Amino acid sequence: MTNLARRARVGRQAVAGWLFVAPFTVLLVFFLLLPMLYAAKLSLYRSTLVEGEVFAWLDNYRQALGDPEFRRGVVRVLVFGAVQTPVMIGIALVAALLIDAATSRFSRVFRLAAFVPYAVPVVIGTLMWGFLYSPNTGPLSSVIDVDFLSSGTVLYSLGNIVTWQWAGYNMIVLYAALQGVPREVYESARMDGAGAVQTALRIKTPMISAAIVLVTIFTIIGTLQFFTEPLILQPLNPGAITNSYTPNVYAYHQAFSYQQYNYSAAISFLLGVVVFVGSYIFLFVTRKRSALR
Amino acid sequence: MSVRHLSVERRPYRPRRPIRFVLTAVLTAAALVAAGCGGGDDSEEPSGPVKIKVWAWYPAFQGVVDLFNRTHTDVQIEWENAGAGQDQYTKLQTALKAGKGAPDVAMLEFQELPTFQLTKHLVDMGKYGANDIKGNYVDWAWKQVTNGESVYAIPVDAGPMAMLYREDIFQKYNLTVPKTWAEYKEVAQKLKTASPGSFIADFGANDGGFMTGLMWQAGARPFEYTAAQSPNVGVRLNNDPAKKVMAYWEDMVDSGLADTVAYGTTDQYSGLGSGKYATYIAAGWGPGYLASVAKTTSGKWRAAPIPQWDAGENAQGDWGGSSFAVTDQTKYPEQATKVAMEIFGANKDAWKIGIDEAFLFPTATPILEWDYFLTKEYEFFGGQKVNEVFVPAYNGIGEFQWSPFNSYYFNQLSTNLNQAIEKKTSWTAALDTAQQNITTYASQQGFKVAS
Amino acid sequence: MSRPARTTGGRIASHAVMALMAAYFLLPFWWLLVASTKDNDGLFGSAPLWFSGDFKLFDNLSLLFSHDGGVYLKWLRNSALYSVVSGVGATAIAALAGYAFAKLRFPGRNMLFAALLGLIMVPATALVLPTYLLMSEAGLTDTVWAVILPSLLNPFGVYLLRVYAHDSVPDEMLEAARIDGADEFRVFRSVALPAMRPALVTVLLFTMVATWNNFFLPLVMLSDNDLFPLTVGLRTWYQSATLGNAGPALFNVIVVGALVAIVPLIVAFLLLQRYWRGGLTIGALK
Repeated sequence: MTNLARRARVGRQAVAGWLFVAPFTVLLVFFLLLPMLYAAKLSLYRSTLVEGEVFAWLDNYRQALGDPEFRRGVVRVLVFGAVQTPVMIGIALVAALLIDAATSRFSRVFRLAAFVPYAVPVVIGTLMWGFLYSPNTGPLSSVIDVDFLSSGTVLYSLGNIVTWQWAGYNMIVLYAALQGVPREVYESARMDGAGAVQTALRIKTPMISAAIVLVTIFTIIGTLQFFTEPLILQPLNPGAITNSYTPNVYAYHQAFSYQQYNYSAAISFLLGVVVFVGSYIFLFVTRKRSALR
Repeated sequence: MSVRHLSVERRPYRPRRPIRFVLTAVLTAAALVAAGCGGGDDSEEPSGPVKIKVWAWYPAFQGVVDLFNRTHTDVQIEWENAGAGQDQYTKLQTALKAGKGAPDVAMLEFQELPTFQLTKHLVDMGKYGANDIKGNYVDWAWKQVTNGESVYAIPVDAGPMAMLYREDIFQKYNLTVPKTWAEYKEVAQKLKTASPGSFIADFGANDGGFMTGLMWQAGARPFEYTAAQSPNVGVRLNNDPAKKVMAYWEDMVDSGLADTVAYGTTDQYSGLGSGKYATYIAAGWGPGYLASVAKTTSGKWRAAPIPQWDAGENAQGDWGGSSFAVTDQTKYPEQATKVAMEIFGANKDAWKIGIDEAFLFPTATPILEWDYFLTKEYEFFGGQKVNEVFVPAYNGIGEFQWSPFNSYYFNQLSTNLNQAIEKKTSWTAALDTAQQNITTYASQQGFKVAS
Repeated sequence: MSRPARTTGGRIASHAVMALMAAYFLLPFWWLLVASTKDNDGLFGSAPLWFSGDFKLFDNLSLLFSHDGGVYLKWLRNSALYSVVSGVGATAIAALAGYAFAKLRFPGRNMLFAALLGLIMVPATALVLPTYLLMSEAGLTDTVWAVILPSLLNPFGVYLLRVYAHDSVPDEMLEAARIDGADEFRVFRSVALPAMRPALVTVLLFTMVATWNNFFLPLVMLSDNDLFPLTVGLRTWYQSATLGNAGPALFNVIVVGALVAIVPLIVAFLLLQRYWRGGLTIGALK
């Protein structure tokens, strides 16, 4: 091929390359960058019921950081994340190890059973559990005499819904990773006399640490953005699930119940930044284990 | 060329499938989209009757709409149920702010009117003849919707309060119908002794309208605000009458006489249906509500006047009640005003539906004095003429003003009271906290707060 | 695949645990099934986990499809519409971009890809409200596009497809096609797409599921009842039922509405199990 022809082809590739990434880039700009910038701009203004919009620099952020309701919400999602994540990952891991070790048909049934909740929209899963928690329409209170939606228990009840919804999905991811572990490893472990439990703990688990890290980080990201479940169940006990229950719920109510769009933008932006930065820190800290990049 | 490099499973495939599939799917979808969102925007010069869009969530409203459309040729109503309560208010606020998407006429409960007035997006119907029907409404109701000569909404229904009680339970335990709150407590204690699993009532601390109605009855006036005096607003949530009410119910709950299940939950319905709650402090629309969630108890309920703080008085409060307002996004303010005035208005045919099927309590005096309404026997109440209780209650309601940030107020009230209930702390202290938060909020919003 | 021999005790124990967990995962579905056969009074009156005397499933179903002017069917249609359009659209866009990042040389490629990687971690829900506010300024809220357009953006999908394309699209075949005179799009279509198929199906399925299940975005963007997907619609009914003064509180409609809403996805899952497993493998390993 002549130099000219080669250069023409390279030029053609470049044009094609731009064209191919164009739709995605346009979407990225319009639905990621611009909203972020717009939220940032809005968050620098103040809008009162009486006066309208005025430039307020960092007032909204100052207000948020000093807002006891916002802070409670932040603490709550942090606590929630700290508790929920190990529970979820633990259950998913145990389940994955179980089905990896078992080969009966039942394990396939079990795998399906665990995964099906993922097919249910979060809204519907929450509604279902809302009915299940109710002393009158649900079966649970006849077995355990506990008010699932009181302010002391509601966070656990919500956590349970999240676990029910996602454990199966995480289990499949971990199971898929387990499938990728070379068999020779098990062979040598068996020859060394390792029992099933030991194999599971000492060998299988570390070998899928990359997948575990992945699931962990997505779980954490999810818990920090907790929104749907508390919002749906709020009418059942508005005293326990307040309008500021989580940062996202707070941002939503600020915008739609109180028309405080600027404050809402500030909270959304703050939440976005925190999650974003936190994710990267986490990934960085676990980079050796996660084998990412 | 080594085929091994292709990590595709050995399955017959047609290379062009992806694109064809994609194109077909996208085109089908695009067709669906085009068909689905045949949005009715731009209404140019109407060649036929003027179409007025109405948002409302009244039960059995379709019949009322059909009636109006049958009897009017120049105006036709397009009704949409855009959600109930806060759901609709949120949408309305959003649409008003965006400048598009709002209906011509919207249903607004009394407590929300100042909030929407403040947006300056409500049309003054006084300019289009609304003052002509002023005579149809009692003073306090007309004041809720007006600002001097300006009329921002036409009252539709109201929620005078009464005590609905289970006659069979009262008879079973030999209870007398209490006339004062003191008597109410005695009856409650008697009931509790006789039937430990029962409560005299359920106190729904999640319902701001309910609690405000009770405080209204006791003479509390948490807000002093009219559009004319904006941005001045008086906030006195924790004054004595309000504290009296809260202290009373705190005592009732602490003594195990009243339950604290949230209103609107299946647990509350169960309680009403199973006889766990012997009374239900209800509003004028309460009978209809009760009839739908506690069908199995039909015939067992009766209505009695709400207990008084001072024997012999007729102090009353209102819980709920709604009106129709016209938004400034309407292209036909005159016709929209007409619709607002006439859908229910004082129209006996429309109100027949409203009374029989929707269980609404009318605000129009001609309907209130109408024999059909006054002497109607309600099967759910064992044939009792329930309105003979509700109408005097309605007449006893005094003036009351709402704040222009009602959703914040309701939210503060329910959040703080619920927390007091959960943590078993003082309810009156909860009122103090709410008072403080609301004052701060109002100042932040640019209001000049007086307390 | 053979596994180390298990003791019978171990087998019983592990099966017992699995059975317990399976019961936990399936309990709510059983409840939903049973509850769908009861009318409103039956829901409150009878034992939650077993049928009441009356079998009212078909009554409930007819009530479901006629309630509120038959709006449920519109919601069903909307969910399907958003799901399919977003799924197909997002996959197509991600395929183009992923392939380009993997196999085409163009200036700015690495920079853009680094930006993409950086932006993958921006939380989606933090974007919903700002996107709403932005679209509100542009007057685009309360339309189907308000839901579809943001759902077309799938940075993780691009990443996935890029990685997959890099590994599974053979350069030699690309070259061969080019030498044969095909333009870049033709090359993409006839060589790359078939090679990327498993990953494409994965991205398509996951995007469709994510859109079907989406709640926050349509909740915020849409006001018109007729445009709601099932998630927002059912929640609206639930709100009305718990409001109190909005007429009859038809919980049985909500329950059976929930049942009907989950059936399509569950059926799809059962039929397409193979793709889920394959897809998640890709996700886990990459």
